Amino acid sequence: MRSSIRARLAAAAATVGLIFAGLTPSFAPVAAADPLVLRAGTDQDLQVLNPFNSILVVDFEVFTLNYDLLVNFGPDLEPAPGFAESWTVSDDGLTWTFKIREGMKWSDGTPATSEDARWSYQLALDADAASQASEDGYYLAAGYLEPYLLNAGVSAVSAPDPQTLVVETSFANQLILQAYFPILPKHVWSEYSMDDIAMYSETPFLNEPPVVGTGPYQAAEWKPGEFIRYVRNPNYWGPKGAADEVILLTFEDADTMVQALKTGQVDYVRGVQPAQFDALKTEKDIVAVEGISNGYSEIAFNTKGNTEGYGGSTSALTDPKFRSALGYAIDTAKLVETTLGGYGVPGDSVVPPFHTRWYDQPDNLRPFDIEEANRLLDEAGYARDGDGDRLDAEGNKIVLRVTWPDSEAEHETDAQLIQGWWEQLGIGVDAYVTEEGKLLEDLLPPVSDGPADFDIELWGWVGDPDPTSLLNVLRTEEIGNFSDSFWSNERYDELFLLQRAESDEAARKAQIKEMQQIAYDEAPYLIMYYDAELHAYRTDKFAGWKDQPTEGGTPLFGYGSGGYNVLTDATTATGIDSQLPLMLAGLGVALLIIVLALVVRRRRRPAATEEE
Amino acid sequence: MRGSYVLRRLGVAGATIVAIVLFNFVLFRLMPGSPERILLRGIPNVSAERVEAIRDRWGLNDPVLPIVIDDAGVRFAADNQFFKYVTATAQGDFGLSFVARGQEVRDVLGQHLWPTLLLFGLGEVVAIILGLALGAYSGWRRGGPIDHIGNGVSLFLYATPYFLLGMMLLLVGAAIGLPTFGMLTAGASYPNIFARLGDLSAHLFLPLATVSLGLVGQYAIVMRSSIVETLSEDYVTTARAMGLRDGRILRAHALPNALLPTVSLIAINLGYVIAGAVTVEVVYNWPGLGTLTVEALGARDYPVLQGVFLLLSITVVLANLGADLVYGLLDPRVRT
Repeated sequence: MRSSIRARLAAAAATVGLIFAGLTPSFAPVAAADPLVLRAGTDQDLQVLNPFNSILVVDFEVFTLNYDLLVNFGPDLEPAPGFAESWTVSDDGLTWTFKIREGMKWSDGTPATSEDARWSYQLALDADAASQASEDGYYLAAGYLEPYLLNAGVSAVSAPDPQTLVVETSFANQLILQAYFPILPKHVWSEYSMDDIAMYSETPFLNEPPVVGTGPYQAAEWKPGEFIRYVRNPNYWGPKGAADEVILLTFEDADTMVQALKTGQVDYVRGVQPAQFDALKTEKDIVAVEGISNGYSEIAFNTKGNTEGYGGSTSALTDPKFRSALGYAIDTAKLVETTLGGYGVPGDSVVPPFHTRWYDQPDNLRPFDIEEANRLLDEAGYARDGDGDRLDAEGNKIVLRVTWPDSEAEHETDAQLIQGWWEQLGIGVDAYVTEEGKLLEDLLPPVSDGPADFDIELWGWVGDPDPTSLLNVLRTEEIGNFSDSFWSNERYDELFLLQRAESDEAARKAQIKEMQQIAYDEAPYLIMYYDAELHAYRTDKFAGWKDQPTEGGTPLFGYGSGGYNVLTDATTATGIDSQLPLMLAGLGVALLIIVLALVVRRRRRPAATEEE
Repeated sequence: MRGSYVLRRLGVAGATIVAIVLFNFVLFRLMPGSPERILLRGIPNVSAERVEAIRDRWGLNDPVLPIVIDDAGVRFAADNQFFKYVTATAQGDFGLSFVARGQEVRDVLGQHLWPTLLLFGLGEVVAIILGLALGAYSGWRRGGPIDHIGNGVSLFLYATPYFLLGMMLLLVGAAIGLPTFGMLTAGASYPNIFARLGDLSAHLFLPLATVSLGLVGQYAIVMRSSIVETLSEDYVTTARAMGLRDGRILRAHALPNALLPTVSLIAINLGYVIAGAVTVEVVYNWPGLGTLTVEALGARDYPVLQGVFLLLSITVVLANLGADLVYGLLDPRVRT
């Protein structure tokens, strides 16, 4: 009964093989009547379920599933019924009357009425009042939501009866119909103070699951860093999407995410890399959709240069002719090709082409022409010295610091290309990355007690369905808030207020066109490109995917939750039994090891038989 | 004496841990970007008042060191960040996470700890069994076919980085229908504990294979060379001449001696395994300490990073301590 070393080692190997075989599941993890689950993957991680903390796209997506907006975004971003089913406006355009749908219920069964809408909107007004009263301002958490109401000039809100909401605005405008502000359940939220809701206090309101809302799906389970799971809201007033549950998954690695889509473990992905996108276009049962981004990436100048109090390195930065000349030395097409892998659109106007109704390509477009750039710089009085370096009005060599936040690592490629181009103009470039927190500090102007210590920064903006928010960042009034270029133009500011209140579309278009031209000519920003949104989804489980907007949009992660409600069930059979390949794999491994062990044992007896 | 050996080892380990705790404090205060900006990430329009409030709440306005040198001269500041940090750490309080609002760092670490322990614990066990077995056999039958094949495969696996191995296995696993991400199917409900265990093991298969394959190579190679070396010793020739069976020689004489370098390797490896943890966990979306580190790095969640750093450094120190003590057990010569 002697077992050779070989046999014993083979037995050890077989044990390991059996450990692996044992790992194959012999029980199915879910019961027979499975809920139909829509799984969507993204590379962004959700921070908090309190919608006021929303900063990233995923944050917005999360709260529009839970909560209705007063007015929803329709298939082409036009106003559509939301919490309110219809609305009228007074003749002077200042008073809006919204009819709140009858018989609506919150997901916990409590009736939903105009009082909930009134309470939610009043929060924004109270925050604004606190902001005016305090020296430094008061904002609800991240402060991205209440501007939707304040920019629309909302001054008062009342609920004369449970089905009517009256909103008064201080100037006539249409922005109230595009307000990305959730209607919250008063009976849940009014238990908390405004400081809790704004997440200022020691006990911030985190809004943990189960969440109560009137949206189509309610958050039921949240594993930070992994996934958030929604279940269907049984009391939802709108169309029923095919999915009973929706799970949004966070992936650290884009490859893993795309693999998961290919194997059907995930039904939708956002944030595909350009190389993967090409490969996905030819996959069976998968549709790869390239959406136009509602935003851009820009070269932002510190237009105050080295003026008193500002930390720019040269006065040249204050000169629009200088900035515009530099614009001739930027090959936007090359940037799209190199940085974005070909998926994007070369930039020009500060209003992205996504806004089909408002975008106008500026006149006198700057082509990529180094010679012309040099000529313009000579003309503007920036002479070269003996070494070929350009000098500014004070006779100093112009060396521009170009930086970008570490959260946008792709700009490194842009910076390298820019450096190469501008060197040909005799302008030195010092390119380096800055940690995001530090960069935000450096960008603060003197009015916010900041150093404004930068020359050029590369960053980006994402807009709303209405172009007002993007136009806003270049306003004089926004210096100390959203303006990182500190640019100031009276006519631009004037036009901003006009277009915001203008109800005649043709007139508004003309005003916005003029704004785009001014911004293009003076170039506080040089727009590099408009990114593409690369998404992909499977067609063998869900059908009815509808791009929003129809031209150049994506089915999910758009505006509002409509994309989820139009999905239909596309599964024909019960699907492949995924247990079988697994068990076969495990058994195969075990069998292989056992066979190996037997073969090894049988092939050669140990040469030295030790029995004496 | 056995006792003094143990005490000395414990002393060295203790001193190292103290040094790590101190270094941890300094390191994270050297990071660029003020913590308050990070706490308010992405929010462009923050009032100076609010920034001050945050600084107060997180104790960032206190003096950093116990000795303060300023216009008023040199003085001792009892209420300083360093003392607070040391006393808190000693009590196991690592502070609050910046990112996971309201959650204590030790809770966050605890949640992410056991998936990593599961994956790497099991991975080490499998790698040790397979690696030592393969290495011992290769060494014993040096020059044979198993030796050649085994060596080649071991070298290949040793040289391949974890994430590359992971991605290759990901493709294979996806092709045969294994789950490729996460620890459990997101949002699934289980009728019983076996179903849950079944789902867990299905998800564990690929990451476990990656980790074990990644480790097996080095254990096999080291074991093999150590066996080869041991076999050339005189006492083995004597044992053979005495007529002892091959198996007995291997088990009772060669193996214990050959195990010594391997034990050291296993302990040293723990540090690298932790580095590998990051890449394997990221590839498979395994919710362990590796993924936590990557997320915390990206979000600059300094308290969590401090906690992770401390935890991992202490683990490495303890692992080395364990190796030293095991060494003492195995090799009588070391105990004195």
